[in-house]
Amino acid sequence: MKARQVEGLDPAAPLRANAVRIVATRLAELRDLAEPALEPGAAQAQHDLRIAAKRLRYVLELTESCFGPEAAVARRLAKQLQGVLGDLHDCDVMLPSAAEIPSLETLLRTRRELLFKQFTELWREQAEATWLALERALAA
Amino acid sequence: MARAREVPGFDCGEEFAAAAARIVRVRAGEVFEHAEGVLDVEEIEHLHDMRVATRRLRAALEICAPCFPPKRHRKALKRVKRLADALGERRDRDVEIAFLCEFAAEAPAEDREALAARIEVLRAEQRQANEALAPRLKRKRLRKLRRRLEKLAKAAER
Repeated sequence: MKARQVEGLDPAAPLRANAVRIVATRLAELRDLAEPALEPGAAQAQHDLRIAAKRLRYVLELTESCFGPEAAVARRLAKQLQGVLGDLHDCDVMLPSAAEIPSLETLLRTRRELLFKQFTELWREQAEATWLALERALAA
Repeated sequence: MARAREVPGFDCGEEFAAAAARIVRVRAGEVFEHAEGVLDVEEIEHLHDMRVATRRLRAALEICAPCFPPKRHRKALKRVKRLADALGERRDRDVEIAFLCEFAAEAPAEDREALAARIEVLRAEQRQANEALAPRLKRKRLRKLRRRLEKLAKAAER
């Protein structure tokens, strides 16, 4: 999945002003991709969301000191999302070759369901408040 | 997995281009520091650490793209992506092999033969991935990439 273009970057402007634009774009990308990913069988949407979480995480790793503690909280949530969606993606990758190994297929399907539940709980319980706090920090 | 290193002298009020040069130097350094032992399939964390460092460098290059001369940036990013892809091919096999080996110990007897066969297929793919990766890890090639990234950082400082 190609990253969304960040508009209005200026190499001569201060880092913070540019970081605001980059983080805001990455955050918007992540939020836009979430709804389809919350469908249980939407493997591609979940994979895309993982990539978006990874991109937000890496830009925050670099720039969070410009935005205060809310950015560190957001970075940690992005990392958690990336982790759980990554494990879920691993199940999707392994499932086709598990078709002839019944116990493995059962294990992978059960594991996938559990990881999907973890993902939805994480998103529903933490995402909105975390992203709103990050947006406020960007605007400060 | 190794934590991302702090960028020394990082200053939010600094000009973006100057910060970009510093960021790329630090992230590039992390990649080259993790280049030892990557082909060892018994110690798969070496490869994982280099892969993560490469992903961070790639992210830094993408984030800071407007600070660099476009052609030079495109070439550097292409080489970092190729390295990341080669590391990723090996990593995918490492993860699946580790998962299946753990599961095989407790799998029902009737599935163990099929599991062992699947692991063998993956080990062959892992060897192939290592063969494709090895030339990219040669000292000469890594030094060349390092020089390319240093030139990119210098160009951002001008």
